[in-house]
Amino acid sequence: MRVNAALAFAACLAPIAAIFEDDAYHIDFHYALLGYPKPEATFFQKPYAASKASLLYTVSENGTIGAINPKDGALVWRSDQGISGNGHLRAGEDQDTVISAVGNRIAAWSASDGRIVWETSIDGAIAEDLEILEQEDGISNNDAKDAIVLVAHGSSGVKRLDGKTGRVKWTFEDTSGDTPFQVSSSPTTIYYIALHSPLLGGGSKIRVTSLSPITGKKLDSYTLSSEGEVYTKENILFAGANTAAPILAWTDKAYKVLKVNIIGTKGVSSFNTPASESIESIVLHAPRKVNSLPHFLAEYQTATGHSAEVYHVDLKKNAISQAYKLPLLQGKGTFATSTTDANVFFTRITSDEVSVVASVSDGVLGKWAVNGSPSLAGAYPVHGVAEVVVKGNSASAIRSAALFSNGQWALIRNSEIAWNRPEFLSGTVSAVWAQLPEEESLAQQLEEEHHQDVISAYIHRVQRHLRDLEHFPAWLQNLPNRILGSVTDQSGSSTIEEIQHDTFGFHKLVISATERGRLSALDVGSQGKIVWSIDLHQFAPGAVITRPSLKAFRGFVEVKDPGLTSPLFINSTTGSQVSLEHAHNQWLPNLDQETLVTYKLSEGELQGFLGTESTAQAVWTFTPPPGEKIVRYTARPAKDPVASIGKVLGDRRVLYKYLNPNLVLVTAVAEAGRRASVYLVDSASGQLLHTASHYGVDVSRSIPSTFSENWFSYSLTLDSTSKASRGYQLVVSELFESPLPDDRGPLGDSANSSTVLPMGEAAKPHVISQSFQIPEEISHMTVTQTRQGITSRELIVTLPSSNSIVGIPRGVIDPRRPVGRDATAQEQSEGLVKYAPMVLFDPKWHLNHKYEVAGIKDVITSESGLESTSLVFAYGKDIFGTRVAPSFTFDVLGKGFNKVQMLLTVAALFVGVLFVAPLVRRKQINSLWTVPQ
Amino acid sequence: MSAQPPPPPQWVVDLNTPPTTKPKTNVADPPGYTASLTRRDRAAASKQSVRKQPTPDEMDTLKMKKAWEVAIAPAKQLPMNAIGMYMTGNTLQIFSIFMVFTLFKTPLIAALNLQKTFAPFETPGTSGRLIMVKIVYLLTNALMLGLGIWKVNAMGLLPTTRSDWLAWEAERTWSERAVPREWL
Repeated sequence: MRVNAALAFAACLAPIAAIFEDDAYHIDFHYALLGYPKPEATFFQKPYAASKASLLYTVSENGTIGAINPKDGALVWRSDQGISGNGHLRAGEDQDTVISAVGNRIAAWSASDGRIVWETSIDGAIAEDLEILEQEDGISNNDAKDAIVLVAHGSSGVKRLDGKTGRVKWTFEDTSGDTPFQVSSSPTTIYYIALHSPLLGGGSKIRVTSLSPITGKKLDSYTLSSEGEVYTKENILFAGANTAAPILAWTDKAYKVLKVNIIGTKGVSSFNTPASESIESIVLHAPRKVNSLPHFLAEYQTATGHSAEVYHVDLKKNAISQAYKLPLLQGKGTFATSTTDANVFFTRITSDEVSVVASVSDGVLGKWAVNGSPSLAGAYPVHGVAEVVVKGNSASAIRSAALFSNGQWALIRNSEIAWNRPEFLSGTVSAVWAQLPEEESLAQQLEEEHHQDVISAYIHRVQRHLRDLEHFPAWLQNLPNRILGSVTDQSGSSTIEEIQHDTFGFHKLVISATERGRLSALDVGSQGKIVWSIDLHQFAPGAVITRPSLKAFRGFVEVKDPGLTSPLFINSTTGSQVSLEHAHNQWLPNLDQETLVTYKLSEGELQGFLGTESTAQAVWTFTPPPGEKIVRYTARPAKDPVASIGKVLGDRRVLYKYLNPNLVLVTAVAEAGRRASVYLVDSASGQLLHTASHYGVDVSRSIPSTFSENWFSYSLTLDSTSKASRGYQLVVSELFESPLPDDRGPLGDSANSSTVLPMGEAAKPHVISQSFQIPEEISHMTVTQTRQGITSRELIVTLPSSNSIVGIPRGVIDPRRPVGRDATAQEQSEGLVKYAPMVLFDPKWHLNHKYEVAGIKDVITSESGLESTSLVFAYGKDIFGTRVAPSFTFDVLGKGFNKVQMLLTVAALFVGVLFVAPLVRRKQINSLWTVPQ
Repeated sequence: MSAQPPPPPQWVVDLNTPPTTKPKTNVADPPGYTASLTRRDRAAASKQSVRKQPTPDEMDTLKMKKAWEVAIAPAKQLPMNAIGMYMTGNTLQIFSIFMVFTLFKTPLIAALNLQKTFAPFETPGTSGRLIMVKIVYLLTNALMLGLGIWKVNAMGLLPTTRSDWLAWEAERTWSERAVPREWL
């Protein structure tokens, strides 16, 4: 019993760097994103036939398949197959699976939880289209419905896959050389639509081949003369899927004529589009269900407005006629189709209104004015899907999920915006911590005072304080709110002012840029709230932004992109463009004492130049040995404060750290020897300080590395063909000035040093390395940053296979851990434990706890206002932010601290004093006046 | 009828009239009984108890003896203190801190109160010899202080190693600064 108690007590004492339960979901945030949903592959569907509620399924433009709960916008499941490409997603009626085709992979997923049912891949081709065979010979099949896949880009043809197993039932090979376009099915026939391009150029003909669903044999084939209009696939508007009367519609380049063909017939109906304004695009909306009415809607988008026409298909006469028109509305909007039994309803979604019409007549069944939301301000719906509840002759409820032009995917329930998902954040390629202008100016003023003499500095400070008094009334007004807020633990909304007046410095802005050229600012301190978001294309008309890179300056960020001729400068706090002749360089202030050397990787070698001119002759070059190729280099971070220049040993002697701001770690790989080498280079002189080679390395995998203070680490994937089995290694090396304690190496106590001078040759660091086996591959690593560098550091690694981010305490991967023996008492007092070759990622180290952080490309860290805490922001496909305290939050009260109790205690003591004071006074007086006995 | 009451019994008479003076008898007092002295007796006794005053020399010797005792006293406490210090260990605890504090305080207070401590023994005859005593007193106190310093050192509170001065050592300044091109 006692032993147990003692063990439990010891367990409590052991340092555990974990996220506390009450901190989870408060200090961190996660955007589990899908990406921009594709219009034709987004739909509401019941996850199984008996289900009461439906889920919202989509495949995004980056190939992620997912299901969203329409109630709150939470992600139910998603699957990122790692293939970005044209994705397709279909669900059969009353099925419990959804079938996807992304790239060459076709898979069926359990609709309710995203478990994989079957999957198959097409060799040497890519799925171009996917349909579900709803009916066979007019009878609907209640078992797992089969899928029809159109393959292209390689061998083209049509395959029928078994709905239960994914086995190929038959294949129709198309050897004609036509460009496959789409498949469509009617209850009796499968139609394969291809574009037949003449050899001499010009317009294409549309060839429709009908196939037998049972055997896959070709039944018939005919060609539609569309050469006057159709040049590319984009000219074809619609090839009707699974309707009773599948239609094929195309238009000419100028959008003057709309031509519609009922698939299976040769007749083409031609309609003139509204001539009132120049049309910019036409979209056809038709119901997907087999038994719905054969009606469809043509949506016309002009530069300023949108209108629509509804057409009816007469199945008996094989004729198409216009039924009614929906008037032109100013402002952008979109339409969505929904069906109830056989009835078809069209929903018109604009930024301020949602209205429903039935396909049979133009009477408006329901109309809702949409209450605006700040996140959708100024945006218009691009495309959407809708579910309508119609009772009698009026629509009683509607919900529509629409993608807005600013990248928000929102659900409008009647007139409320129920939720919105910031899907535009997916695919972030660059992010920086913004530097706010105001906080910087205070630092600047302090710097100014530092350089003045005492009296003028004093006057300057008094003046500054007097100026600060103008904020005093506002501060005083805010005081009750702040006190209440701190007592009741409520943090208000985040505004720029709040970020500037943030005491703890947790509210930091991250500016992130996506591959689509959207720039957003997120407040990491308040659950990743989007402070502003802009499209960079508005500042650079005509440019195509694909790979933006950001750099933060005081008050603004600089955006560079290969598609931009000159960098853009964006204000960090407002998102507006600022014009600057030249960006003030953050390095320049120190240059009066230091010589600036710049280096870059060019032609397979690292070259150093004096100054910033690119034309100058290289002062040094670092070339790897023959056969090796430099894959990356890692420099010490620009801002890397070091609290102590030495490491105190257990016997109170000092090992001096080798602190050189110019160190750069170069990673090179050689394919031939399966060798990976790291070179530690002094980038001021180009001198090689240390080198290490690893053999049997899978050089095709990435070798992430990081550098901080006087240590660096990198991670390798060991090749499975080597003697040792495949595995992952983490190598940590620490640099000291001398192997001997209390010794500062050859440079001695000299305060100044230069590696260019001859003295440098002798001053190589003493390197201690240790390698650890780790259970998972690391795709990216970085180190926490704090204000002074007093707090111990944590190595933050990204694990792509388990979708997590782990913070490894520095003590665990200390290269000075004693090998092959237990640590002595002195080493124990340093916190060193016996070396163990395996470092298992403790579940408590996982920063993301229950979140699945997928597709992380990079993790950036920043200091906060508190020394104990470092801010972490991870981006890529998902966005994740948290804060870590590697040495615990020693400088802030924990959440468990009961402020109310403290205040009550103080109040009770005060009341007690009020009562006791007269008693004590009387006693003292009495004791003075009574004669001692 | 009036009848004379009978005379009271003898014991009643004895009780009512106790003997005023001690009966002069030849019987000796019982052992342990001391009769209260009469004035004459007292005068006679005081005349007998007058002692011979010691000579100044004797006085000085006595005072020196006492002074030596005072001087040696701290040394007598030393073994006990040393054991106490050893037992408390080298960790920083409230008890060991208190003990170390007293170890430092006592010798310093003693040194400050040196004259006061030896003032009772100060006579013209002893003043010369007292210097030696005072030195010994200071030395024994210094021993006590030494024990304190040893303890503080064992606790690691004395800045005797390089690590204690690490905070005053500065990072080297480098005459070159190299940065990757993409940072500019």
